[in-house]
Amino acid sequence: MSVWVATLAAAGGIAACSSGSSAPNSGSATHAHLTYALWDTNEEVGYKKSIAVFEKAHPGITVSVVQIPYPNYQEKLQQEFTSGAGPDIFWVNTPWLSTWIKDNLMVNLAPYISKAHIDMSQYIPSLVSLHTYKGAIYGLPKDWDTIAVYYNENFFAQHHIPVPKTWSWSPTSGGSFLHTLQLATIDKNGVNATSPKFSPTSVATYGAELDNSMQTGWGNFLAENGVYTIPKPFASTVSFSTSKADQTFQFIRDLMYKYHVLIPGSELGSNATDPSSQNNALFAAGKIAMQIGGDWETTGTFADVGTKFKIGVIPLPAGPDGTWSVFNGLIDAINPHTPNFKATWELEQWLGSAASQKIMGQGGYVWPAIPGLDSLFAKYWAGKGVDMSGFLTESKGNLTNWPNTPGMNQGLTDMQRDMGPIWLGPGSLTQTSAAVATAAKDANHDLATAGG
Amino acid sequence: MSAPAVRLDEPVTPAPRKAGLAIGGRVIKVSVLYLILSIIALVFLVPYILTVFAAFKPISQIFTEPAWIPPKSLYLHNFSYDFVSGNFLRYLANTALVTIVLTIGQVVFSVMGAYAFARMHFPGRDKLFWVYLMTLMVPNAVTIIPLYAMMRMAHLLNTYWAIFLPYVLGAPYTIFLMRQFFRNIPQEVIDAARVDGCGEWRILARIIVPLSKPVIVTATLIAFVFGWNNFLWPLIVTNSQSHYVLTIGLANFQSNINSQWNYSLAASVITLFPLAVIFAVFQRHIIRSISLTQIR
Amino acid sequence: MPVTRVVSPATESRRRPARRRKDSGLVRESSGGHVGQSGLRAFLSALPFLTPSFIGVMVFLVIPVIVLFVISFLNWDLLTPATVAGFVNYINIFKFDNAAHSLGVTFYYVLLNIPLQTVIALGLAVLLNSKRKGMGIYRVLFVAPYLSTPVATAVIWFWVFDPKLGAVNALLAHVGITGPQWLSSTAWAMPVVAFVNIWQYVGYNMLFFLAGLQAIPRQLYEAAELDGAGPVRQFFRISLPLLNSTTLFVLVTGVIGSFQVFDTLYVLTQGGPGNSTEVLNLRVYQVAFSDFRLGEAAAMSVLLFGVILLFSVGQFLFFKNRITYEYSA
Repeated sequence: MSVWVATLAAAGGIAACSSGSSAPNSGSATHAHLTYALWDTNEEVGYKKSIAVFEKAHPGITVSVVQIPYPNYQEKLQQEFTSGAGPDIFWVNTPWLSTWIKDNLMVNLAPYISKAHIDMSQYIPSLVSLHTYKGAIYGLPKDWDTIAVYYNENFFAQHHIPVPKTWSWSPTSGGSFLHTLQLATIDKNGVNATSPKFSPTSVATYGAELDNSMQTGWGNFLAENGVYTIPKPFASTVSFSTSKADQTFQFIRDLMYKYHVLIPGSELGSNATDPSSQNNALFAAGKIAMQIGGDWETTGTFADVGTKFKIGVIPLPAGPDGTWSVFNGLIDAINPHTPNFKATWELEQWLGSAASQKIMGQGGYVWPAIPGLDSLFAKYWAGKGVDMSGFLTESKGNLTNWPNTPGMNQGLTDMQRDMGPIWLGPGSLTQTSAAVATAAKDANHDLATAGG
Repeated sequence: MSAPAVRLDEPVTPAPRKAGLAIGGRVIKVSVLYLILSIIALVFLVPYILTVFAAFKPISQIFTEPAWIPPKSLYLHNFSYDFVSGNFLRYLANTALVTIVLTIGQVVFSVMGAYAFARMHFPGRDKLFWVYLMTLMVPNAVTIIPLYAMMRMAHLLNTYWAIFLPYVLGAPYTIFLMRQFFRNIPQEVIDAARVDGCGEWRILARIIVPLSKPVIVTATLIAFVFGWNNFLWPLIVTNSQSHYVLTIGLANFQSNINSQWNYSLAASVITLFPLAVIFAVFQRHIIRSISLTQIR
Repeated sequence: MPVTRVVSPATESRRRPARRRKDSGLVRESSGGHVGQSGLRAFLSALPFLTPSFIGVMVFLVIPVIVLFVISFLNWDLLTPATVAGFVNYINIFKFDNAAHSLGVTFYYVLLNIPLQTVIALGLAVLLNSKRKGMGIYRVLFVAPYLSTPVATAVIWFWVFDPKLGAVNALLAHVGITGPQWLSSTAWAMPVVAFVNIWQYVGYNMLFFLAGLQAIPRQLYEAAELDGAGPVRQFFRISLPLLNSTTLFVLVTGVIGSFQVFDTLYVLTQGGPGNSTEVLNLRVYQVAFSDFRLGEAAAMSVLLFGVILLFSVGQFLFFKNRITYEYSA
């Protein structure tokens, strides 16, 4: 019995061992080498430009940027944190924001913000409150994004498809959304999906793609049907396993396998989650006429498309509850174990500053989180022939955030896996509903084992 | 049933039938045999050949022409990209370092342990050997999590130590192999040396090891190939590029760049090349050592 | 990859009669347990030889097993202190972590892989068991993948089976067939993984069968020939029965190896599409290092260990007196 206790105690010792004490306010403010982790390769270019300016102003501080692909980002960083290491400063996305708050992986910057007299009202208020919890602030907002629909203007013109100014859908009837998709889905004989002669097995171009992801995929459609992944921030269970949710997912499934107007999920990578931005390539290659995506994807899409055709942007179609978009913004958080806190805080302030956000906006990488600077981003893309006002319109409408509760990123991963079958083949409402229920069950377990 | 150790160049075939008709039939049979074998051999050979072709082609050629067309010229950019931007030079160095240390340690310490079990006498020897054998039933997959926790407690995560430490202090399987071999070295030789006043270390170094070259070569190959190919353990125990080995580098590379096959196939070539060399040099020995197992 | 081959020490000493010799106390043909003054000295002189491997075995093999069990009763995410969970982890892995499904997928994989691999290995051995020229070259070719890094060969096969760019579908297109989505199709993903594994290890297993075939004396075949038996009958009546032990060995070691497949799956499918290739070993990794639920991952490891142990013990008991490993110097 005592052996049992002893081994438990030993294991508890292993388990309770904390990897060192946190040391904010450490290091020199003028000389340091910092590591900055992020995931988006397009924005990386912009941030490197911004950091170059920072390094010139702070000659003793050098910054190396580490890019980790998004699907692995949270687990990779968390693995580094568990070994007491990790980058000095790093991007944080909302799915795992509360997990990292709970795990004390980010420095509370509130005291430093007030000491430096940083005016938080310069930022979009909802982004500030998103990253605030119980009085602690974990980073300075630096960008925002919404979801809209890129479309191939040449394709629409060539096939005489009217560009929708407002369009809508409902789970029971596809509405004008379905109709536009049908007009835009053309088979190898040039017949579109409204015609009885349409051949679903030899489609040349699909109307659009919709991936198995919360932000650029089903999250928007769920919200437009009045469904939210979690009922409120820091909730302990999910709330998307409802009949309205089932109908929404079935609608998406039908668009792929009944109406054949969305590209089959198998083209979108593992479980149709599109980890490597296949949608850009598909859009550029003319395999899809429309790409539902976020504004940060513009750089990648534009690079793939080149001079092949003109890219247009329209807002998402309206659902039974109106037009909704997922709205997001990132922060840079600081590692509590960094030995270079002072220098990292300098970098944090720079990245949150109007000067840095100007560089990012002017280069067309992201919408800056300081509202006055929006025009820079829009102007850049207008110069390239892409009208980004669709995204801006979304941002003034109904918005929903990523679900923000501990364990949610694991929950979303499990949900995507459990709902994979919905994207990968035809099925009935019962089957879809079962997949959604399994997803909810596994997500709830992720939330339960991560909380507190 | 104690058959002598077999040699592979003395096969057994059923006796041929009557001559005459048999010869014509035999020619057909032989041709069919070679045909079947050659088709199967293609399945084994072709993936490697296609890979080597692709490694020397630019991505445009890979997308446009069939895989079985050889490259027009030796396009070396894939390799230089891999080594520099892809960091494979670093991964290669890391893998070499870790594998060599692992191999030397595993072989040396296994030789020592095997000698003790084979030719030294001490209380509890056989019981202890049984314990070693028992651990052969513990699969690699099962020790991963606890070893990770232990490494973390020792603050050894993300170090070279962590990668080779679990394997460097000798391996029970290798000890088993060597023990069997050492026991075939006549006891009289060792006794004579002991009577002459030779210490155990000298006996090991001067008598046992020189006589045991085949099994030591086998053990070295086993350790080296294991270390070179190891993936799951280094994957969980390292998390910065500076410490990645080839297997991790290759897996990450592949998932990041998705369809840039020219780069990832060149990286596969980099990973496989040393093993190909080893196999070419040692293939007779390798095949022999596997084939000489007798199972009754 | 390491194969469990075992000889009981008891067999060894049984094979040579105990000898009585004039001894100086240092040389004693005892199999241990004879304690005397020489015992302690003998132990001390053996100590430096044993210590490294002993530490290795204890620290890296024995203790981890104990630690694994302990962790399986904890709730631990590596970042916050662990709490005791008790047996609930063993229940949760079935309720939430899909352990039953993963176990099923693993068995499916073993069923797809091992019987076919064993039959092919035997077939190849039969084909290569002839005195003709060039057999050596074929042998080398078939065995080559055995050494190749599984991660690297997985990358290669990932490309070869790519539905759009890979050689397989290109070849099929030449003969007018539209190839399936292979690794992106829930029906084909596991068979492809099994194929890759067969390709990798069938040559290695073939060598065992080859050695076994070549140990069968000619006379048996000649006698059967005289009795009028053709080569097919000779195979089924002579070769196959005499290969029983080899066949069983290849089967069992293959099964044990299959339960631990990871590298190939990580590169080829990551458990997808959906979770159709999510074998238990992969699931353990995901739950431990993506979901950070170490207690549950440890419980799944214990489950995996149990399944493997069943096969390992069976093999151990059956083969412990049946295998020798000899070298001609």
